[in-house]
Amino acid sequence: MASTPASVYATVVFLRIPEFARRPATEQTRLRAQLESALAVAIADMSEAGRIVLDAADGIVLAVLGDPRAALRVTERTLAAGAAGLPLGAGVTHGAVRPAGENGGGLLGDGIAVAAGISALAGPSKILLTKEFRDALADAAPGAEASLVKAGTHTDASLRAHQLFHRDPRAARARGRRYALAGAFLVLALVGAGVGYRVSLEGAQGFADRVSATLRAGAHALAQRLGR
Amino acid sequence: MAAKTPKRIGRYKILGELGRGAMGVVYKAEDPALDRVVALKTISLAAADGRKDYEKRFMLEAKAAGKLTHPNIVTIFDFGEEDDLAYMAMELLEGTELRARMREGTIPAAESVDIALQVAEGLAFAHEHGIVHRDVKPGNIMLLERGPVKIMDFGIARMRHADHKTSAGMVLGTPRYMSPEQITGQPVDQRSDIFSLGVVLHEMLTGGSLFAGQDVDQIAHNVNYLEHAPPSRSNREVPQMLDFVVARALKKDPAVRYQDAYEMCADLRDALAELKGRAPARASDETERTQTLKMEAGAKEAPLAPAASQIVADTRLPLSRQFDSAAALERLEKPSRNDRKRLAHAPRPVGLPRRIWSDALPRRLFAAAVVAGCLGALAAFA
Repeated sequence: MASTPASVYATVVFLRIPEFARRPATEQTRLRAQLESALAVAIADMSEAGRIVLDAADGIVLAVLGDPRAALRVTERTLAAGAAGLPLGAGVTHGAVRPAGENGGGLLGDGIAVAAGISALAGPSKILLTKEFRDALADAAPGAEASLVKAGTHTDASLRAHQLFHRDPRAARARGRRYALAGAFLVLALVGAGVGYRVSLEGAQGFADRVSATLRAGAHALAQRLGR
Repeated sequence: MAAKTPKRIGRYKILGELGRGAMGVVYKAEDPALDRVVALKTISLAAADGRKDYEKRFMLEAKAAGKLTHPNIVTIFDFGEEDDLAYMAMELLEGTELRARMREGTIPAAESVDIALQVAEGLAFAHEHGIVHRDVKPGNIMLLERGPVKIMDFGIARMRHADHKTSAGMVLGTPRYMSPEQITGQPVDQRSDIFSLGVVLHEMLTGGSLFAGQDVDQIAHNVNYLEHAPPSRSNREVPQMLDFVVARALKKDPAVRYQDAYEMCADLRDALAELKGRAPARASDETERTQTLKMEAGAKEAPLAPAASQIVADTRLPLSRQFDSAAALERLEKPSRNDRKRLAHAPRPVGLPRRIWSDALPRRLFAAAVVAGCLGALAAFA
């Protein structure tokens, strides 16, 4: 007897066309074709073994296996490629999915449900990401999650609260500045502590004499080396 | 035992019986005043509750329906009552009921859309005049030999559902073509007819029964909760656009359905143009036609593609037909040892050592701290 494939963790991207059901069928067809083209371009450099593409009534779902960074990249590219006349929002999470039976029966799982739920909250050209995705991104590439900032909380139909994030490149730059400041402070503190300790032992004048003697000796040695 | 055929009803001379239903009989009759052959639909008033009200309602409905003159609606010439019979004289149609045509097999997509379009045009006209059919179904759609499609039985459905009971207590009307609001007894408007037409269109395209069930309760449950599979999943001839038309007509919530039949007509016209545009290529390729039929058998198991708002943890989404996902699915079904390790677990929290090792900024900060610490120690102790 064939066993049911176990659940795996994947990054699930729900690319959703807002208000899809209310649009005329001609527009629906156009938007759908546009979305498929944009996604085809965005996933062109992704291995076929690394992604599963699913149909939804109002969008497309992409399940990416083992590479949250690639999933985020593809999501951003799709939204950018589809910017011309394609209203598109995306919900991204990292959760459990599993194949739904044999012969290409599709996928099911909590990951898909969560991504679908938050995609409904994402406005046009917006990407909402869950904390689970943020954790997966941090696990895959520590530091990459720094560009994600809190966007609020969403309680789903099962009364689970999801902390939501969106991407803000300024957050990564701000983190860089914070680290630079912390580094400068740390250097000053450690060197200053060493100097302070010495001053406390020898007094300020003694320490100044020692530094000046050391500098003079250093300058003399340098001059001799250059003269030679 | 069948009741004896009367010789005359009102001024009409009965020529023969055309059909018999739960509420009455349809006769072929002659109008001697105009020397015209008509179809005379009779409804028995004997079992109607509140007969006076019922008669009044019948007259009102028949009068309203009689005002509808449209190429896609059967013309009503006259109505009246005699003894325990209410009758309606209408245009006699020579053709095939859509129900009979559907029994012969799947109707080609272009023909299905053409039929649905004509029905939608007739409904749009009726809705514009404030009349909701309430019983749109293949049995009420007549395909004429060389002419338009005609909708029959306008104005009768309301009386059937609201006021009339049979002695056996059986359900009248056709639950599997009813909209969710209609089957649950809520007020209906033109959007209910649009839902019913959506069911008819789906069945024409797929050849199956969309909301079939063993009893009315089961059908009602299916109408209210069962999401349809896109027709293109079982009939490759159906363009994606037609999937969208059917999906919109079959929305459970009337607020997101087509709001009027004209809107649906516009989409059906576009779908028909698309189908006609590619018809010659299809017709010449008999091999492809055979392949289509082969796919129909297996396609019944194809999962649905629900909208984001309807997806829960056990909702399965079908694979996209535009992208090949076989390699990744194979990877899930037969995972390598590495995949078992990587994909089977939730993300690990990133600890300080890994953070320093893998994240450039903490690594630089750590290096700066080490260097500054050394300099500080040098200053303190050297």
